[in-house]
Amino acid sequence: MNRKSFLNGAIALLATGLSTAAMAQAIPATVDQPVTITFYNYNLASAGIGAEATKKLISEFMAANPNVTVVGVPYASADASRIQADLAAGQPVDLVQTVFSDLDFAVTNFGAQALEDIVPADELAAHFEGMSPNGLKLGVLNGKTYGLAYTFSTPVLFYNADIFKAAGLDPDQPPTTWEAVKADGMIIKEKTGAQAFSAGITGPGAADWLFQGVVRSNNGEVISRDRKTLEFAEPASVEAVSMLRDLVDSGVYENLDMNGTLESMAAGNLAMYLQTSALQGALIAGSTDKYELRSSTMPSFGDKPVRPNNSGSALTIHTKDPLKQRAAWELMKFLTSKHGYTVITSEIGYLPLRTDIVDDPAYLGDWVKAHPLVQPNLKQLAVLEPWDPMPGPNYRQIVKTMMDGVEMAVFGGADVAETLKAAQEQAQALMP
Amino acid sequence: MTIEAVARPIGLAKPRLRKKTAENTGLNSAAGHVVMVLLSLVCLLPVYWMVATSLRPANATFETSLWPTSMSLDNYVYALNSIPIVRMLINTVVISSVVTVVQLFTGLLAAYAFARWRFRFDKLVYTAIALTWLVPFQVVMIPNYLLVAKMGLLDSVVALILPHFASALAVMLLAQSMRGFPKEVIEAARMDGARSWRILWEVLVPNLRGTIASLAILIFISTWNEYFWPLLLSRTPENSVIQIGIQMFMTSEGTAWGPLMAASTMASLPILIIYVVLQRQVVQSFMKSGIR
Amino acid sequence: MSEARLPLKTARPARRRSGASGISPWLYLAPAIITLVVWIYWPLVDAFRLSFYEWNMLPTSEPVAVGWSNYTKIFGLPKFWQAIRNTVLYVVGLLPLAVLIPLAIAIYTHDLPARSRNLYRAIIFVPMIIAPVVAAAVWRWLLDPGHGLVNVVIKTFGFDPVKFLSDPKVAIWTVIAITGWKLIGFSTLILSAANANINPSLIEAARMDGASKWEVIRDIRLPLLSASILFLVMMTILLGAQWSFTYINVLTGGGPLGSTTNIYHLLWDFGFSNMSVGWSSASAVILFLGFGVLAFFLFRLTDRYSFHDN
Repeated sequence: MNRKSFLNGAIALLATGLSTAAMAQAIPATVDQPVTITFYNYNLASAGIGAEATKKLISEFMAANPNVTVVGVPYASADASRIQADLAAGQPVDLVQTVFSDLDFAVTNFGAQALEDIVPADELAAHFEGMSPNGLKLGVLNGKTYGLAYTFSTPVLFYNADIFKAAGLDPDQPPTTWEAVKADGMIIKEKTGAQAFSAGITGPGAADWLFQGVVRSNNGEVISRDRKTLEFAEPASVEAVSMLRDLVDSGVYENLDMNGTLESMAAGNLAMYLQTSALQGALIAGSTDKYELRSSTMPSFGDKPVRPNNSGSALTIHTKDPLKQRAAWELMKFLTSKHGYTVITSEIGYLPLRTDIVDDPAYLGDWVKAHPLVQPNLKQLAVLEPWDPMPGPNYRQIVKTMMDGVEMAVFGGADVAETLKAAQEQAQALMP
Repeated sequence: MTIEAVARPIGLAKPRLRKKTAENTGLNSAAGHVVMVLLSLVCLLPVYWMVATSLRPANATFETSLWPTSMSLDNYVYALNSIPIVRMLINTVVISSVVTVVQLFTGLLAAYAFARWRFRFDKLVYTAIALTWLVPFQVVMIPNYLLVAKMGLLDSVVALILPHFASALAVMLLAQSMRGFPKEVIEAARMDGARSWRILWEVLVPNLRGTIASLAILIFISTWNEYFWPLLLSRTPENSVIQIGIQMFMTSEGTAWGPLMAASTMASLPILIIYVVLQRQVVQSFMKSGIR
Repeated sequence: MSEARLPLKTARPARRRSGASGISPWLYLAPAIITLVVWIYWPLVDAFRLSFYEWNMLPTSEPVAVGWSNYTKIFGLPKFWQAIRNTVLYVVGLLPLAVLIPLAIAIYTHDLPARSRNLYRAIIFVPMIIAPVVAAAVWRWLLDPGHGLVNVVIKTFGFDPVKFLSDPKVAIWTVIAITGWKLIGFSTLILSAANANINPSLIEAARMDGASKWEVIRDIRLPLLSASILFLVMMTILLGAQWSFTYINVLTGGGPLGSTTNIYHLLWDFGFSNMSVGWSSASAVILFLGFGVLAFFLFRLTDRYSFHDN
């Protein structure tokens, strides 16, 4: 690097530093006049506890902040087209519940703001206090916090203790490794005839979050750390996929569609189900009075440590208006407060980003005691890693191409290494 | 007078058909009945299952007994409490009715133009209208959304109606049946000095009742069942339609089967009742319509 | 609005049926044309243009011209040819359900007493009025391998449960059957209507000549129904892929292993779900041109082979 370009770079850096500092000062300390902000939220798009709890939190916030009116806008998380269409139509998009895999696109295209750029540093630090450091990292991209983990969860192995007993297995010793999943699965199939194991790794609607965690647990990555090269056809990943393929070939791993799996588990026909803990509510509803539902952490590859990652969403601020930014930040603070996470965890069924409220009887203490199923989920919070979003305008197509290849390799009888390699080449061509 | 005379030959066929049925007896028709009964069961079973499931209590949702062992209205209470179903139903009725009337109106006008006149580019225009049938809705969805936004109509019932002001189906079906209409009758009316506007409404329309009625039913049903456009537009449940309400019970965190079936039953009920009441007319109107 | 103006144009002694008709037809056509141009043709024309760009539609970014790359990307999708093959399968599979069975029902029920005839036809029409989303949900429920009623029945007969929606070999036929289930009533009504309108004297005459029941069907009914049959065949070929879309979307999402995806769903999946305008516009153009060309040939064929009874 020659001297001149270094100088230029330094000036540029300084300039951005200055401008962000200026912006940070521009956001008012309080909302001193009436303002309306929109909150794009996918929980509002469905009926049930998620929507009810969200509405409750919003109205509590408005009661405490009479100057702020929050307009909740429902959108389908499966496609971000509502947000994109509204931005294209010039509609105000202020605060968004962004799925983690959309984070890159939200930053580069939807104008998501880094919190460091708009919120005074001391205020930010004060709010982050008590939050799980791993949880905070989830919303960090290129070194800045664009999103604050909001409704998120980790993969857990749900299992049917009654089927375990019927197969002569000890329900207190659920499988902790993939080898054990296979061994126990074979016994379950043989002794009970029940469906042994299924997972939300592949298939329509599965996205790639769980796959990322499986590959990482075998010390692989689906994408390089600089997020330029796809690596899901590298040996570590091929090995992980081959393991899944072996589970299928041995008859342990059932290929069911997502809803089918969920209902099979809920109805008591499936012994083990690796899936996001967010499905806990639906599974509890199905198992009550029928069988004993338990949960465990994600299985590991031998003695390699489990490296689970999260599913779910973060909160991102998109507005450029300082007053609205302040209002959005206030709402964000409220939703991610001790009280906010108490509601989110106990009423919707996600994880608390604030680990200090878990044992606090004023918040989640009693609830956690009464809900042992959440334990493996909390345990994994300590080793949680981010769900990497794919970069560029074709990020969704990249995910689809990758996951199609994985599905083909696991269930389609195709050669694992070759299929993944072909898919990786195709997907790499779509990278920016 | 002339018109009735034209319509009569079709009616005349009736008595003769009745006579023929007497010949049709024996094994052949018994086997036919068995097939038809089976087919009817296949058609009705899912509808029955929807209603039966909606009436089961929450912990019996996965039961497979044909008749619910115990009944409960909990699912209905839950569904009614979590989304404004009544409001959504009213919206859907209003939208479907308006769309039906407007689409029939524009369809009648356009079809009349094709049936009555030869004009420059008439074939081309007709083909262009027919081709809109092949344009998948998803293609125009986003541009339409932007247009609606520009008009300031986001989150309004009007936006759900506007793009359906005309349809290729209505124009084509009506044009086809108008062409089949005896030209002498139109000519006669014209001789009597009737203007084109009056010929359409006083001569053609009364005689196309069958087609119009069956087309109305088709338009109403398809608008009632529309899903993707309202899904893109809906912001507040109060301004949305019943299909969106139904869809709200199917989430990525699992489907709330009981409430979903309750909401589905409530969504299907109005249309089923209308159908049962008007069933004879519906079938008859299709029999007499030019849709063939 | 037109009421005030129209009389001026049509007041002249109307002798000429055809020939110079002036502005009248255009006034009658205006509402339909304006609607279709604004809501369908304008976006379509725009799609042609945008299919050569990469753009996310946002006001903050500029469209980038990329030539044919959107098209090559789409044709290079690994599932593209699988989707084309499946599209053909959908059409082939739907034809019996949308045409053959309804035809048989229409001819059979025609000879039944009026009461049972109307009852059967009414019942067969019921699936048509059930919302597609609801139909999909109920069927998924009925077909579930574990607790679905259909599989419970299959199991009581001692067979293994069928994975109707997760077995790659079976799933596409399941989706076809459900699509057909929705359509049977509509087709039956159309064919029944056509059948009822056949002049009975023709049939009577044939009988006098000693024609058997089958000969009557083969030599008189089928030729006279050919226009309706061709109409339904054409609709099935052109719109079959669209009809199955909701069911694919709700039931299988194109899986397992892409076995139920068709061209329409594949392009939706890759083109529209994240509003990359280039992908979606190119998809739109491919769909429109593809089916347009198909429609053109089909229209030519029907013109040549349909039998006109008047």
